[in-house]
Amino acid sequence: MRSIRRTRDAAVSAALVAIATWCIASGVACVEPLAAPLVNAHPDDPTPRRGGTLHVAGQGEPRGFDPAAAADQVSLPLVALLFDGLVDYDGRGHLVGVLAERWEVADAGATYRFFLRPSIQFQDGDELTADDVRRSIERALHPDTPDPFASTFSGIVGYDDFSSGKAPHLAGVRVEGRYVVSIALTAPDAAFLASLTLPSLRPVCKSAGERYSAAWLPCGAGPFRLPEGAWQHGISVTVVRNEHYFRAGRPYLDAIVWDVGMPVLTQRFKFLAGEIDYFRDISSIDVSRFAADSRWKPLGDAEPDVEVTGEAMNTRMAPFDNVEIRRAVASAIDREHYRLLSPATLNRANQPIPPAIPGFLADFAGQTYDYAAALEHMRRAGYPYDPETGVGGYPKTVRYTAYEPGLAYYTAQVLQQELAKIGIRLEIRLLGIATWQALTHKSGRAEMTIGSWAQDYPDPSDFFEPNFAGFSIHEDDSNNVAFYDNPRLDALLKRARLEADDARRANMYAEATRIVCDDAPWAFVFYSHRYSVHQQYLRGYVPRPAEIEYMGDVWLDRPGSAADARGASALGSVFGRLAARLP
Amino acid sequence: MIRRIVARLVWSVGVLWAVVTLTFVITRVLPGDPARLVAGPQARGVDVARVRAALALDRPVAVQYGRFLGRLVHFGSSEGEHSTCAEILPRVHVDLGRSYTFGQPVVRILEERVPRTAALALVAALFQSIAGAAVGIFAARRRHSLADHASIVATIVGISVPTFLVGIVLQYTLAHRLELLPLDGFGKTFVDHARSIVLPALTLGICGAAYYTRLVRDEMIDVFGRDYIRTARAKGLGEAAITYRHALRNALFPIVTMLGLDLGTLLGGAIVTEQIFRWPGLGQLSATALVGRDGPVIVGAVLVTSTAIVASSLVVDLLYAMLDPRLRA
Repeated sequence: MRSIRRTRDAAVSAALVAIATWCIASGVACVEPLAAPLVNAHPDDPTPRRGGTLHVAGQGEPRGFDPAAAADQVSLPLVALLFDGLVDYDGRGHLVGVLAERWEVADAGATYRFFLRPSIQFQDGDELTADDVRRSIERALHPDTPDPFASTFSGIVGYDDFSSGKAPHLAGVRVEGRYVVSIALTAPDAAFLASLTLPSLRPVCKSAGERYSAAWLPCGAGPFRLPEGAWQHGISVTVVRNEHYFRAGRPYLDAIVWDVGMPVLTQRFKFLAGEIDYFRDISSIDVSRFAADSRWKPLGDAEPDVEVTGEAMNTRMAPFDNVEIRRAVASAIDREHYRLLSPATLNRANQPIPPAIPGFLADFAGQTYDYAAALEHMRRAGYPYDPETGVGGYPKTVRYTAYEPGLAYYTAQVLQQELAKIGIRLEIRLLGIATWQALTHKSGRAEMTIGSWAQDYPDPSDFFEPNFAGFSIHEDDSNNVAFYDNPRLDALLKRARLEADDARRANMYAEATRIVCDDAPWAFVFYSHRYSVHQQYLRGYVPRPAEIEYMGDVWLDRPGSAADARGASALGSVFGRLAARLP
Repeated sequence: MIRRIVARLVWSVGVLWAVVTLTFVITRVLPGDPARLVAGPQARGVDVARVRAALALDRPVAVQYGRFLGRLVHFGSSEGEHSTCAEILPRVHVDLGRSYTFGQPVVRILEERVPRTAALALVAALFQSIAGAAVGIFAARRRHSLADHASIVATIVGISVPTFLVGIVLQYTLAHRLELLPLDGFGKTFVDHARSIVLPALTLGICGAAYYTRLVRDEMIDVFGRDYIRTARAKGLGEAAITYRHALRNALFPIVTMLGLDLGTLLGGAIVTEQIFRWPGLGQLSATALVGRDGPVIVGAVLVTSTAIVASSLVVDLLYAMLDPRLRA
């Protein structure tokens, strides 16, 4: 009896030790080598194939797909699939007509007349006419609609009266025929067509009615439609092919399943197993691994640089009310130290416009690292610093406000080290993002903070006006977090908005770039982009400069056997595989 | 007894009111603008103001609270404006407003999420109590043996290891490597749900079972030393009868207390576990709501959690009365 008990005790103990070993071993095994990409069925045939379901995943949860209220980065790729606009940017970044066959510009750039393609149908089968375009615009800009881009269209004639509820209709939007609609502006606006690529004004089905409602099931004229019940909160969103889509044969896919709220590690497991076909939320360590792996490198896509980040200095607060101090900061930062934090997704910045946006000056030196110049600017500011002895510099500690989680946690430490070399001592204050936003958008609350701007649409005005124009300063909620106010720059930006000639407009923004780099309300530090990887059988994917993750033109070329394998894997278990083999 | 229950119910309503009011005030006065989070970091100030007005956040906090409390529980027929309400009893409606983030009525979101979290909580509680009791009894009966020492070590490990690590290890081994279970998700059919719940329930249950093992072991060892157990042995009763009929019944008190409170806490949602396994319950919702400063959803989630804890402690009191006749008086 005693020996039986002893044997049982030993067995239990052994089992516990085995479980512990297994846990430790599995933790170590998480650094397993990358699996090979799954192959495509017809590698030599570039002809797109119709059918199949694309599986994509993301960490975030979309907030909604009504184009009049969508602003978050998770919803926008899906909004782009559900709603086509009058115009949009193509894969090469050229502005082209989509629902509009063509357009005319009249009144020296103050009136845009759009000619719709005839016989376009919404996803519910109704025809799209000029009345729908007008209704959709009025619905989006109505004062009760929580449209985060509404003020972008404040130049439309009658906007003020309509958005304040004084007028029942937007006077500047006129229906001139069944398929002709015109939009009149109070003044010429060279960026108007670019701003039309935002989701806000995209035509919506008649079921959307005249006014915004959170209960509406999104319906538009895009290549995919959202069936009833296809958005399962916290789980996934499924969009299916719009059979009424105006482009013959498009889209190629039957459906796209977009899993939401999926942690990065789970995405990685599923991607390597072929359960998801496109992997974007890659950890910085994995970006390096995929980029260094010869099998995966050709399947990696570095998206264009459309976001700029800088160290914003509050020009109303000491010591940054002194332009020489700002110039010292701009010269003291070695951008390479920032880039090395994530080499696959960051590039050194020297000016406010990122390289993928019109207005970037390729031959302009801009702000660069020059330690001697930085010390000289400190001397001119009245705070000479001797790096040999560490004596001098700005006598007080400067508070730097950033947020976590995110890259800012690390860049703040790089900045602290860079500025210590010229005698500026930083105290880092890390906040949650909501608190950080509330604080830094208010006047006089943060001496220095991280400034960042990603394109809303690819036009230099989208970078200059919110961040550096005096007319964008609002005491309680300002995008211009440096509170930089330069009347000369303001005048230049206003003239550039009105300028119809592309070359003259480009010269104006070049001048604006020079002013901002010299006055240094921001020390520009890096341009950033996403790095994504797709399976070999996902074909036709080209990162677009103007739209993230656009999956409207892709097709699947997956071998049948691999698809079967995915089916078994989706069942996900030994039991599933057994069940699949049952007759 | 009935007077005692009524008094507890009245007290519970007061507790819930205090918790909800405190949560409401905290979500409104914290720095950070929910309208800015909804509109996006790049929205112009004038557009943020438009969103703020649409969310009714432009009114004074006292006005917002008055309107919230007036609608929280109200009476009337089902006709009229009840798009954001849930009818909990005939002519009794609960309205928690709309989510800032999703625009949906909070009660609809909770109707969807709470049953999933309840299912996860029940399975996890079941696992941790059965596993904990079984190992605890086993160890107590073999006090100072190798198995007893091993179980103590295992419980220390189980208590010490954070939930996220247990979750990731289980996910990696059982789902990714061995493909025995789905990596994450919820599934569409009952079988899918049943398979998907195993890993998150195990993750929660392993940590909980470690506590229960220690608790049951210590209680059982204590009870085994009592006079009435010695008497039972002297009368020649078998070890199984002594353990399960006499000792375990008396060792149940602390277990019932802990299980009741644990169940209440688990019903509030397991934020980390639900996130790892993408179990679309209250924990996942709470995490999203906290990041997005979604006040109505936070208040709704807190209301569900506090109701669960208050209700479970009430049930524990009743169970005590059932187990101990001295408390029935």
